[in-house]
Amino acid sequence: MRKKYYFFITILTIIVGLIIPFSNNTNFGVAADEKSHYTITTDSTYPPFDFQKEKQKEYVGIDMDLLKEIAKIENFTYSVKPMSFNMAAQTVANGQADGIIAGMAITPEREKIYDVSTPYFKTGVVFAVAKNSKIKSYEDLKGKKVALKTGTAAANYALELQKKYNFDVTYFNDSNIMYNDVIEGNSVACFEDQPVMQYAIQTGLKLKIPDQKLGNAGSYGFFVKKGQNSQLLKKFNRGLKKLQDNGKYDQIVDRYLGSAKNSVTKEKKGNLPHYNIATDVTFPPFEIQAKNGKYTGIDMDILESISKSQGFTYTLKPMSFNSATQTVANGQNDGIISGLTVTDERRKVFDFSNTYFRSGFIWAVNKDAKIKNIKDLKNQTVALKTGTGSADYAKSIQKKYGFKIKYFNDSNTMYNDVVVGNSVACFEDEPVMRYAIKNGINLTIPKQTPANTGEYAFAVQKGKNAALLKAFNIGLKELKKSGKYDQIKAKYLGSKADTNKEVGNTKEDNSVWGLLSSNREMFLSGLGNTMLLTVFAILIASVWGLILGIMGVSENRFVRGIYSTIIYIFRGLPLLVLAFFIYIGLPNLTGVKISTFAAGLLTLVLNEGAYTGAFVKGGFDAVDPGQMEAARALGVPYNQAMRGIIMPQGLKIMIPSFINQFIITLKDTSIISAIGFVELTQTGQLLVARTQKGFAVYGIVALIYLIVITVLTWLSKFIEKRLGF
Amino acid sequence: MNDKVLKIHAENVYKSFGKNEVLKGVSLDVHENEVVVMIGPSGSGKSTFLRAINQLEKIDKGSIIVDNVDVSDPKTNINKVRQRIGMVFQNFNLFNNKNVIDNITYAPLTLKKMTPDEAVEKARRLLVTVGLADREKSPVSQLSGGQKQRLAIARALEMGPDVMLFDEPTSALDPEMVGDVLNVMRNLAKQGMTMIIVTHEMGFARQVADRVVFFDQGVILEDDSPEIIFNQPKNVRAKEFINKIINA
Repeated sequence: MRKKYYFFITILTIIVGLIIPFSNNTNFGVAADEKSHYTITTDSTYPPFDFQKEKQKEYVGIDMDLLKEIAKIENFTYSVKPMSFNMAAQTVANGQADGIIAGMAITPEREKIYDVSTPYFKTGVVFAVAKNSKIKSYEDLKGKKVALKTGTAAANYALELQKKYNFDVTYFNDSNIMYNDVIEGNSVACFEDQPVMQYAIQTGLKLKIPDQKLGNAGSYGFFVKKGQNSQLLKKFNRGLKKLQDNGKYDQIVDRYLGSAKNSVTKEKKGNLPHYNIATDVTFPPFEIQAKNGKYTGIDMDILESISKSQGFTYTLKPMSFNSATQTVANGQNDGIISGLTVTDERRKVFDFSNTYFRSGFIWAVNKDAKIKNIKDLKNQTVALKTGTGSADYAKSIQKKYGFKIKYFNDSNTMYNDVVVGNSVACFEDEPVMRYAIKNGINLTIPKQTPANTGEYAFAVQKGKNAALLKAFNIGLKELKKSGKYDQIKAKYLGSKADTNKEVGNTKEDNSVWGLLSSNREMFLSGLGNTMLLTVFAILIASVWGLILGIMGVSENRFVRGIYSTIIYIFRGLPLLVLAFFIYIGLPNLTGVKISTFAAGLLTLVLNEGAYTGAFVKGGFDAVDPGQMEAARALGVPYNQAMRGIIMPQGLKIMIPSFINQFIITLKDTSIISAIGFVELTQTGQLLVARTQKGFAVYGIVALIYLIVITVLTWLSKFIEKRLGF
Repeated sequence: MNDKVLKIHAENVYKSFGKNEVLKGVSLDVHENEVVVMIGPSGSGKSTFLRAINQLEKIDKGSIIVDNVDVSDPKTNINKVRQRIGMVFQNFNLFNNKNVIDNITYAPLTLKKMTPDEAVEKARRLLVTVGLADREKSPVSQLSGGQKQRLAIARALEMGPDVMLFDEPTSALDPEMVGDVLNVMRNLAKQGMTMIIVTHEMGFARQVADRVVFFDQGVILEDDSPEIIFNQPKNVRAKEFINKIINA
């Protein structure tokens, strides 16, 4: 009984432990906003932002120093948890830590999951090559291999370039290994954030930056989990402002980058006028990120059409709505198009274009509902989304119409609450609601006048960029005249004339099934690589292991010594160390380049072969010694007796060990991801870096492994039977 | 006796396992066609001495000469000598991965001493003599203990040895199986095979043995005809041992 009880408790603990980190809306953090001690994750090796100084335990760097000063000013304490960048980001995303400061660039994807501070550092992506390399520009990378660090903005940028410049990529989890890969010549270049690269080179790394052109210029921010730790974010922003005001910020940056930070030239503009346009991409139907990473939506389509007709080019700078307005207001970006409502307050800092859209709050009901008038809502429950303007509006009219209120954290759940009939209506921004309905939400908008109407316009910093504003206004006028404007609107919001319901896959489906189907090719290719590595490793390691095992039972003491030494070394070395040694150390020693696949295969063969060799010898030893005696007594020499009598019987004994080793080999291929071989685990890491859906992605990966292992076991058993054992 | 050809000549043989000295100066001569039975309490060294004859145990000191070849000399090709010495083990040690007839033909075929046809033909004749003609293709795991030991004898005879060593051949058998195995051995003795047998079957020893050798604590205490050893042993310890066995 007692045993059962303990077993039950253990299982329960495991389950609870698994669930808590993934339940987004649990109330464990009720007091979180009032606390003054925070857990901050960071990347353990990301100089000059986060790193451990020689002989010091403490982490230093621009990030660390900023955090320290801000904590001092804002009077909070914190503990730093250094880990890999991916882990650091995931840990915050699933609520296990409060915030992350890790030279983390502000991207639209990240803003879906995190709340972000005001940008604290401006950065961009550069590429670096070996000192003696002749590579000067992106064009020179064609057909060559480029090293990337998993999950970084620099890697994402490189992937964009990849289509155009056609280079191969290989992934690493660690900057140093990536740099080394370039120094060793396995890769010709690596992509890295400019300050990081600059700092590394300044401190002696044997690489150079051939072209100081900044790609994908962006900003670093401090991130907390979306909807949580707003106090911490506030403190950070307030503290950062004070540091910038009192000059301490500059001191910190100077400490690490010296004067070099000024050596970066601005992105060159082409012949056409070129503008940086800030936007918020998390505002459908105005800004939507499509599955291919491109941005679409009403704003995007209008901007694109106008730029073409008015002859200018632009770089889109997607960021949070707040950052977007701020970066335009302070001149970092040239313009903003982001469903920005014209208000008197904003007129003080912006010059607005002519308005291009009229929006307001509306309420929507179930398609079958009999509610026609807002008065019908009396005593009914309406659904609201926390913290939105439409919710504020609904609250303001609650008393007047006498309805009850229910809150949700995301739009989809809110809509569905109405669809299933728990609530009778929901309040939402009109275009957002129309877009959702067009994309299949089963709601309808009763006839009504939108409330609190506002007008959207394009904006530039007050007194600047008059030419851009003028071009926008002329373009907009032409667009409206040509009817193109109405087409764009209809495309996203639908109209009576519009029967085309689907707007393409504008929404990325992040459900398990959605992840699986939309990334099928990635998973398949990852699985393919895992299988390829596994099959070759199993075959070669088994042969090698047999040879080793035979050496282990040799009559010759010298041969047995070789066996013992090989087993001692390769069974003793951690697989990961062996992989690094072979991939990075060996070319250094021999000057011969080796592919990640070859290095991975060699690693697995040496390691698994050693284990195989040990159990092969064990299997031979386990055969009754009388068998050998009987053969020897007949005058049969040792080696022949070994082959004819001992080995056939020993092999039978070791079949289960072989099957076991096959499964271990399959699992061990995941470790090869560390040297950049994109097998199944690495595929998962890449996907998590993009989608941030760690639970779902690793769940899928785990399931695939289990399926493959099941098949492998079944296959082994089948062969075992076929061999007649 | 001494007009016969000397087959085995052991002189002053010593053997230790670690600190445990098992043979302390054993000397023994065996002549052609002679059947020598070795008796004595367990741990007295008789099995070790038997196994030293075909060098399954290497000796520390002394010499063993089989057919004028010094088997204890490291330069000797021991495999050649062993082909002429058949051995039967207490636990049969049949090859588990081979069937009945393959157990017999394994050695001559592996050593290329016979063509497959010759080997099979001879094996079949031997199977008839040990009474296993109908079990040619059986896996050895399906044989009874007595059948296993008779097969082991046939296997040892296939190579045409001129000396046979038996190491307690009936000790692992159920009592009703013992008779068949002893019969096969008795027939062998009648055909004039030179045999050295370690056994506790005193009745059999009395019947078949030309000489009985009594081992105790690593030395031979008495070496006589079965009549003398069993009826009026000279050695006190031999007397005690034989009384114990017979009255057991």
